[in-house]
Parts: sequence; C-alpha cells; structure tokens
Amino acid sequence: MSSTISNDVSPATSDRARELTNVRLDARRARVDRMFAVLLIVQYIAGIIGALTVSPYAWEGKVHAVHMHVWIAVIGGAGIIILPILLALFRPGTTLTRHVIAASQMLSSALLIHLTGGRIETHFHVFGSLAFLAFYLDWQVLLTATVVVAADHFLRGIFWPESVYGVANPEWWRFLEHAGWVAFEDVFLIWSCVMGRREIESSALREAQIEELSEQEQLKTAALQMALAEMQTATA
Amino acid sequence: MNRRRGISALLVLAGILWAGTVGAMYRAVRRFETTPGHAATAHDSWPQASRLDRPAGAWTLVTLIHPHCSCSRATIEELQAIMEKAPPSVRSFVLVYRPSDFPAGWEKTEVVAAAHRLPRSQVLLDVDAREARLFGGFTSGQTFLYDGNGHLRFSGGVTALRGHAGLNRGAGAIVRIAKSGAGRAIHPVFGCAIISQQEGASR
Repeated sequence: MSSTISNDVSPATSDRARELTNVRLDARRARVDRMFAVLLIVQYIAGIIGALTVSPYAWEGKVHAVHMHVWIAVIGGAGIIILPILLALFRPGTTLTRHVIAASQMLSSALLIHLTGGRIETHFHVFGSLAFLAFYLDWQVLLTATVVVAADHFLRGIFWPESVYGVANPEWWRFLEHAGWVAFEDVFLIWSCVMGRREIESSALREAQIEELSEQEQLKTAALQMALAEMQTATA
Repeated sequence: MNRRRGISALLVLAGILWAGTVGAMYRAVRRFETTPGHAATAHDSWPQASRLDRPAGAWTLVTLIHPHCSCSRATIEELQAIMEKAPPSVRSFVLVYRPSDFPAGWEKTEVVAAAHRLPRSQVLLDVDAREARLFGGFTSGQTFLYDGNGHLRFSGGVTALRGHAGLNRGAGAIVRIAKSGAGRAIHPVFGCAIISQQEGASR
C-alpha cells in the first residue's frame, strides 16, 4: 500500500484528508457525547439510590426528616447534569459540549464522593471518568477535568479543609498532592489522545490519497475510452 | 430560525442553572457537614448513677450512638481504628439509643452490628437516653474517654465532619492521651441529635 501512495501530498489531498479527519472526529465525539449523556443520567439515578440507601433520614431523637444528602442527590444532581445533557442533544460534537461534559463529570464525581461520606474507594470514579473522557481524543478536555478536580480540592482545602484532608489546617500545597495523581494519569491519557488522533489523521490521509488515485485512474480510463472511440470512428 | 433561537435560550438558561446549582450545592453541603451537633456538658468524673460497670483502673471510652443516624457509620469506623491503635488496656462502651415507645429491635441496624464487632467493647441499649443524660451527651457520635481513676480526659466526636471517616483530631487525641496518659482534649461532635435541641436547651 505504501508503495502505491506517494509521500508528496497535493494541497487538494491534504484538504480532503483534513476534511475526512474532521468528519470522523466529529462523528466520534458526537457518539461520546451521547454516551456521556446516558452515563450522567445513570450516575444521577445511582446517586439518588445511594443517598436513599445510605442516608435516607436525619434524626433528632425519635423524629426524622428527609436527609440533606437525598435533597442534594435529587436537586444538586439534576442541576449538574441538565446543561451537559441538553448540549449533547442539541450541540453534539462541539468543543463547548465536551468541555462542559468534562466539568460536569468531575462534579458528579465530587457529588458521589460526598454522598458516600468521602469514601476513598469512590475517588476511583475520578480516574475512571478521566479514562472515559480520553475517548474524545482531545487532550484539552482532560485539562478541563483536571482543573475542575484541582479547583474543587483547592477551594475546599481553603474554606472547608476537613472535607478533603480530615484536618483543619493542612499545608497549602496539599491539593497539589491530590491533583498530582490525576496529572499522573493525564500524562498517559494525553499521550493516548495524541496517538489516537494521529492514527485517524493518517488513515484519513490514506483514504484521501486513494480517492485521488482513483480519480486519476478514472480520468485516464475516460481519456483512453475517448481515444479508442476516436480511433474506431477514424477506422470506420 | 425560531427553533434555533429557542434552543440557544434553553442552553443559556441551563448554563445559568448549572452554575447556580454548583455554587448553591457547595454552600449547602459545607454548612451541613461543618455544623457540629450540640456539645456535651460532661462532668469531670464518671457519673456515679451510671449503670455501666467501669472496669476498675482501666481507661474507658463511652460512645453514644443513634442507630439510624447515617453519620454513626463513620463514628464506628473511627472507633475501630482507635481501639486498634490504643493500648490494649482501653475498654469501650457503645450506648445505643432507643425511645421506650419504639418497638424492640428498632435499634438493630447495620451500624449496631458493626459496633458489636469492635474489639474490647460492649454494646448496650440506652432506653430514652438515660445513660446519655448522665454522661452529659446530646449528639450521636459523642465520645468520652475516662482514665483509670474515672476522670474525664476527652469529650467530643471522633470524625472530622458529619459522616466523614478518616484522619481527624478527635480520634487522634484519644489515642495520644490513652498512650501517653497525659493531657485532656475536647473536639466538636458531628451527628444526629439523640436528645432534641429543645430538650437539650432546657437541661
């Protein structure tokens, strides 16, 4: 295959390859948007079920009322997912949609971590989410997600440190330790995004070159058929 | 064209709602988690009227638990860690609240089952919070540490926030005091009320 495709790419082929790359990336990203829309709804329902199971009521002696966690899961959870779902429905594949989805997915992680009482196991949701976000093949989306996680830890570390570190006066740089593990995963995911995108670009280029060759062949065939027709006319 | 404009307006509205919800949620959660329960009015010595059989000469922990308070899970997790780190001579009582007009068995929850698995601990029913009143506690999670002479050395909660297990100053202080035999400490307590605020205020 490589022997039949020239390394010299004409501007037209290059434009066509870019067009094919964009079409494929847009289709892929729209699919991932829809996947996240479904995932966000599933997480929302799971959050409500979790809150109803783990902490349905707050008690004062023998009197009970609906627990704050249930309200947060229902109202807060809905507030977090409404924008990304609408964007996935009405603006699929756009840059804004995937960045809002990344931020919302991280906020969903923060909500689930809170609803499970800060369980260390729920923090794995952040790492799983980053891996899903890498499906976009857009490393900037991972940066948005990382910034949201770091900002969440940084702000809570300032205003509400016990919720993140268990102590009231942690060192100012402690949020960097937490964000550092996210950055560690990011390095590999960003690399996979770049490689994945390159594969799509190179496959699009091959297709554009094949299209160009095919066009040239069709032109040659047409010219030959015309010449043949002229010869037959002349002979007759 | 009108549909397009309508969708754009819907997305802007959803964006405002999204940002507003995130801000409001953080504020509500912060307020809920960081607001401590009613602090104990503990006496300096082991209450004489208590029916608990304090082991002579041993350091003793007393923890009040509302069996249906979700925050109690974190308290029991922390008690487990405390009992593992504290000297083996430390004993513990977990007092489980039940109103007298509630059916027997109401108090049998997963949290209480976990309390039964705590090392060197006894789980006892505290009907109408009689013992809680004697010890001066109001809130689920309230923990007292008494030294071998029955003097109060710690009063407070063993979680950093409502329902949050993990590193915290309260549990750390108990282990430190029990190990060194020196010092006293207090810590905020986070949990559901065992004795209602009105009743607590009138005491």
